[in-house]
Amino acid sequence: MSRLKRIYDWFELRLQLEGPVGEVVLHKVPRDTASWWYVFGSAAFTLLMLQIVTGILLALVYVPSGAQAWNSLNILNHQIPLGWYLRALHGWGSDFMVAVVFIHMAQVFLFGAYKYPRELTWTVGVFLLLATLGMAFTGQVLRFDQDAYWGLGIGVFIMSRVPWIGGGLVHLLLGGPVIAGATLSRFFTLHVFVIPGTLLLLALVHVWMVIKLGINEWPMPGRLVRRSTYIADYNKLAHEDGIPFVPGAFWKDLIFSGAVVAAVAVCAAVFGPYGPGGQPDPSIIQTVPKPDFPFLWIYAVLSYLPPSMETPFILVAPILMIAGLLAVPFVAGEGEKSWHRRPVAILALASVAVAWAVFTNLATFTPWSPHMNAWSGDTLPVRYLEEATPLVRQGAVIFQAKQCRNCHSVGGHGGQRGPALDDVATRMTVDQLRFKVVSGGGNMPAYGKNLSPPEIEALVSFLETLHPKGQSPAIDAAQQAVENAAASPPGSQGGTP
Amino acid sequence: MRLGVLYGIVLGLALLTAGCNAMPGDPRSGPPIPPDQVTDFHILYNRNCQACHGANGRNGPAIDLANPEYEALIDDTTLRRIVANGMPGTEMPAWAQSAGGMLTDAQVNALVAGMRREWARPNAFAGGTPPPYAQNQTGDAKRGQQTYQARCASCHHTPAHQQVTSPVYLSLVSDQMLRTLIIAGRPDIRQPDWRHDTPNGGAGQPLSAQDVTDIVAYLHALRNPDEVSAAPLSNAPRR
Ligand code: HEC
Ligand code: HEC
Repeated sequence: MSRLKRIYDWFELRLQLEGPVGEVVLHKVPRDTASWWYVFGSAAFTLLMLQIVTGILLALVYVPSGAQAWNSLNILNHQIPLGWYLRALHGWGSDFMVAVVFIHMAQVFLFGAYKYPRELTWTVGVFLLLATLGMAFTGQVLRFDQDAYWGLGIGVFIMSRVPWIGGGLVHLLLGGPVIAGATLSRFFTLHVFVIPGTLLLLALVHVWMVIKLGINEWPMPGRLVRRSTYIADYNKLAHEDGIPFVPGAFWKDLIFSGAVVAAVAVCAAVFGPYGPGGQPDPSIIQTVPKPDFPFLWIYAVLSYLPPSMETPFILVAPILMIAGLLAVPFVAGEGEKSWHRRPVAILALASVAVAWAVFTNLATFTPWSPHMNAWSGDTLPVRYLEEATPLVRQGAVIFQAKQCRNCHSVGGHGGQRGPALDDVATRMTVDQLRFKVVSGGGNMPAYGKNLSPPEIEALVSFLETLHPKGQSPAIDAAQQAVENAAASPPGSQGGTP
Repeated sequence: MRLGVLYGIVLGLALLTAGCNAMPGDPRSGPPIPPDQVTDFHILYNRNCQACHGANGRNGPAIDLANPEYEALIDDTTLRRIVANGMPGTEMPAWAQSAGGMLTDAQVNALVAGMRREWARPNAFAGGTPPPYAQNQTGDAKRGQQTYQARCASCHHTPAHQQVTSPVYLSLVSDQMLRTLIIAGRPDIRQPDWRHDTPNGGAGQPLSAQDVTDIVAYLHALRNPDEVSAAPLSNAPRR
């Protein structure tokens, strides 16, 4: 004891940490805040630590050069013992971190915790969110595989649409006009120095404010926030019915953070690392790249937007979203904190959450880009051609060859940009089909100039056969009347569909 | 007591690490092969051909490559040339990089070798001698029309505008494909081969090489109907 104590005292005399640390550890917080709802912020911080540790270890092996990055990841995956696990931890850690940061933000919003005097905490938090997303994006680029390559390509394409300075921005980001070796150096610098430095600094400021301003009290309907009285009210609450931060509230943080790290470890063990997928090579277009999970929704939104809306959406939406987030505490800095009395806020949060979930879901289940291999790789269900005439079968060849399936699915395979065509004949008459193919409309390109008249005829006669057995195709009523009138003895009609 | 728990955790972690190489997430399969290095026949076929030629070479919209008679009819050089360069004027694309396609020579060879390995059968013609794959005579469209009426029209009559004799249909396919089809047949869609055996196995009357050439000449002429003096009879639907 005495030996240890003496060493401790030697350091304490010089560092003098006991006072401030004790103050932080023992400061009183309202009793209600020792809640399982208040654990997400600390979990995000823990994940940040995990990312830093695993990131440093990865940086020991990773080579940030266009020629070798991909190889060095494969060495990690296959040659270094547990190298793959390290990659998996870092990758899953990143997904969890993004998710936890979003949940934390939603919870803070729900509990009105951004209100006076915690506006700046929220503002810093918004930048923490942006930095976290920035880490996720730059990290995906460092993987430098097909997905990374195309993900970045689309990011760059978005930037290039900025009026006037678009080209300059792209040049700055890529270190040249195209994705090349210099690009990787830039993203490495961003991912390893610039963004994490900012992130860590902001996170410390964020935590500092949380400690200094106290943990947000549990919202009670009718307990309003007023600038003039809030701080006094809060201090009274914390002192009259408070508990020391450690261990009172802290043990829940510890347990939850531990659980989150364990979840990362399990996911990493079970699902393994992300990629690296195919080698990044712009000449390989036989690929279905998909961005990492935090960005999936963007691609889903983009693929559902009509082309004319793309540029405005791409340029304006992010600015509006960030501005909206930053404005929250300044628009609603006082008043009710309880969700029971904030219908607009709750509705807004719910709509954002639902929209996000829907788009992410769409993007995970549907190819967000045209399905590039469909024309040569996806078969047609055999029964669709069972009764085909020579022309219909040839129409099916045209259907495949002209890549209709990049956007349309048949038999459950193919793109999702246009409607599935399995029963298109029940919806459209022959003339409508022909018109649609020739003139396009909606999101559908006009093929009139790209197909010869015989090709169009063959294609339409194939489409005309696409209807479930026993359900008759759509028929032009007027035409049918004429045919019926001209029909020879009833029953002689029919023939091959 | 506390220490015990700690040791337990450390031991557990150590065991976990030791067992890590058996964890499901371990990417054992090795890095993905770049698309231009794939030489596995099934992967190549499934990625590039099956949409038109059908899963396993049959039941697709385009000709069934899995027909043993077809495999026996066409020689390696021709097959290779067609896969590499496509069938100009039709939807059969050129696949070799030298012809603007996506596949390397090694991959084209792998496809040809794979088709032979998977689908060729010894003695596919059961002793018969089919007309040659490539046309080596000149055809007579007039005679072809008669042969067509006699030998094909019974199965191919309605609806006339979607049938073999429809100029629209004919403008989309090559003469070679018609010839191939008449000789080797297409078992997957019940098109008989040149022997014209009846569906229940009864011996038919085989088409001669001249017959085949004539029919193709007739169908060729139909692409431009004015060239056939007599109106194509088969265009009148037989009901
Ligand atoms: C977009 C559809 C399409 C794809 C994909 C396609 N083919 Fe074809 N193929 C056709 C059509 C249509 C024909 C018949 C063309 C004609 O009329 O001559 C054909 C003909 C052929 C023939 C010649 C048949 C004959 O008459 O001797 C061969 C061999 C062939 N294809 C092999 C392949 C192989 C191997 C692949 C994959 C690498 C492939 N095809 C991919 C549509 C396709
Ligand atoms: C026993 C009946 C029968 C006879 C005889 C017959 N066919 Fe067919 N043929 C079929 C069937 C069945 C199909 C598939 C259904 C369809 O396309 O109408 C077919 C399809 C075809 C096709 C389309 C092939 C494709 O890949 O789309 C052509 C071309 C064709 N036949 C030409 C001929 C010619 C030329 C003759 C005469 C030498 C002939 N057939 C004789 C039954 C027959």
